[in-house]
Amino acid sequence: MKINQRDIASGVFFIVLAAIGLWLNTEHTMGSARRMGPGYMPWLVFWLQIALGVGVVLVGTASGPEKMDRWKADEIGTFIGGIVAGFAAWWLLHSLGGYFAIGYNSLGCGILVGFLVLSIAPGWRFLGMIMVSMAIFALLLEQFGFFAALIGLIVASCLPEREHTSKPLGVLLCTLFLLALCWFVFIYELDIRVNLWPTG
Amino acid sequence: METLIGNLAHGFGVAISFTNLGAALLGALIGTAIGVLPGIGPVATISLLLPITFGMSATTAIIMLAGIFYGAQYGGSTTAILLNLPGEVSSVVTTLEGYKMARNGRAGAALTTAALGSFFAGTVATVLVAASGPLLTQVALSFGPADYFSLMLLGLIIASVLAQGSIVKAIGMVVVGVALGLVGTDVQTGQQRFTFGIPELSDGIGFVPVAMGMFGIAEIVLNLERPEARSVLSTKVGSLYLTREEFKRSIAPVLRGTVVGSVLGILPGGGASLAAFGSYMMERKLSRYRHQFGNGAIEGVAGPESANNAAAQTSFIPLLTLGIPSNAVMALMVGALIIQGIQPGPRMVEAQPDLFWGLIASMWVGNLMLLVINLPMIGMWVSLLKVPYKYMYPSILVFCSIGVYSLNNNVFDVYMTILFSVFGYLCNKLRMEAAPLLIGFVLGPMMEEHLRRAMLLSRGDAMVFLQRPISATLLGIGAAALLAMALPSLRKGKNAAMAE
Repeated sequence: MKINQRDIASGVFFIVLAAIGLWLNTEHTMGSARRMGPGYMPWLVFWLQIALGVGVVLVGTASGPEKMDRWKADEIGTFIGGIVAGFAAWWLLHSLGGYFAIGYNSLGCGILVGFLVLSIAPGWRFLGMIMVSMAIFALLLEQFGFFAALIGLIVASCLPEREHTSKPLGVLLCTLFLLALCWFVFIYELDIRVNLWPTG
Repeated sequence: METLIGNLAHGFGVAISFTNLGAALLGALIGTAIGVLPGIGPVATISLLLPITFGMSATTAIIMLAGIFYGAQYGGSTTAILLNLPGEVSSVVTTLEGYKMARNGRAGAALTTAALGSFFAGTVATVLVAASGPLLTQVALSFGPADYFSLMLLGLIIASVLAQGSIVKAIGMVVVGVALGLVGTDVQTGQQRFTFGIPELSDGIGFVPVAMGMFGIAEIVLNLERPEARSVLSTKVGSLYLTREEFKRSIAPVLRGTVVGSVLGILPGGGASLAAFGSYMMERKLSRYRHQFGNGAIEGVAGPESANNAAAQTSFIPLLTLGIPSNAVMALMVGALIIQGIQPGPRMVEAQPDLFWGLIASMWVGNLMLLVINLPMIGMWVSLLKVPYKYMYPSILVFCSIGVYSLNNNVFDVYMTILFSVFGYLCNKLRMEAAPLLIGFVLGPMMEEHLRRAMLLSRGDAMVFLQRPISATLLGIGAAALLAMALPSLRKGKNAAMAE
């Protein structure tokens, strides 16, 4: 057998996504071919996607041999742990109220915690920490201001890179430069509406 | 003919007024800068700048926004060639040969070819827009919803056929894109679909979070994971002059690219990226030097770069004649026009001659400016790129994050970007192409609207798509393209099987 694991995984992904879509689509009225309701096009699209997914799987049984990168034990662990921790943090913090009840802050904290856990495994270090840095940006921006959010984003995104952790001075200069540049471009020139400093 | 010249003269009169020249220059400069800087593209920039244009006249505003769009085509090729990082979807193809040329020490030559080819193509395409605009306005009146639907379907089929790797997977990604486009308020009934009660999703998933996540951020993570393949090079640009041989080899691809680009640019959903793909595939088949493809063949830069610039110009045709945006940037243009109180559509040529002809003339003026901005000043733009990647990636992240946020001043868009970054990362690991998804995503909602309208008009009879000659022809071309592409891959599969 010349199994292409990547193709099979892609095909399964298409099918699963389409199946979820079809299930969600049951709440929309189909209408008729003449007067299509909101559910008609999704129904067509998701069935087409299932057919394509099956096609990709069938092709995948012969287009290999190709294997996916094998996940190490710690990678599997932090992957599952990240999902669990992320959802738990989202749900717990949301019930706390205060800062966490504003906008999407609790969702952001969930994302932050989830990817932080994920980044414990060395293999997920970059993926996890880049997402963490963006989540920090989103969490800080509206309540703690433009500069705090940028500092958080830049420092967090520099953490997984070994060349940075050995030379913290470079990170500091990079941060200062980007703060000045972003202030000039986005605040002075483009004048986007955002708080610069923490609000009370 | 005389009216065309008269109209163009009128257009140049509008375009070389002090304000409009300034607007074109500003647009071209911003466009080049954001094209050069990876991770921030014209869509994000134009959406960022849209509010600023409210105070300008409609003509000036559109001239500036258009300048950003085609300026980014020039700048994007610089990044693609020097960094292997497409500034935009349309310069993805340029990375294939351009980056190889840079590695071979011919970066300067690749940049010159790209700029000269783009300028030539831009000039030809501008004339084409001027000549065909008024004519197509007439043809447009004969297009029904069924024809529009088939046209878009053809665009999607071609996009997936031209994608790298497995065609079935590419079509699958197109369909995922169309599915993502379903999210939001149903236009005809106002019902919320797949929004999970999130108010931010009622306008649909934003184009920018999807594009930035899948192309910008996912790329950063992948680059960081492969330290040896990092994009930033210490390459020198080298001489900008082309050798005689390089110049000769570029001529035919530029001409072919201009034709391909001009034609594909007109297709809704075609646009610059499709044109670049098309031209690349064509050169790989037609070029006498096709054995050099993959190792830095200049044809693979000259053709696609001319094609994407030609397409960038001609993609204004559907907007100016039909009022249909052929890509995300044009969709933003529609927004800008409507804010100015102008309804884009077939009547614009008559009602807004200043805007129509002024924009066309300014395209040529802008292209001329870009040639000057890009070639002699390339050193300035390149110095933007000499920053090591470890400093580059936090900068890209910062620009993306602020850019995404400022679209709607909502952090929700940042979280959506995170979601699509992870999705883009996974797609890359599974070898699923992101470009077809993006095209499906943009065209999906329009296709649904035309499908529903066509079926309503035909009283539920799907045969309408085969009975209308325009629609049937378009579908026939699509089917032929699918079959043609299926055969060689079948043969390849067979050959591989026999070799074992």
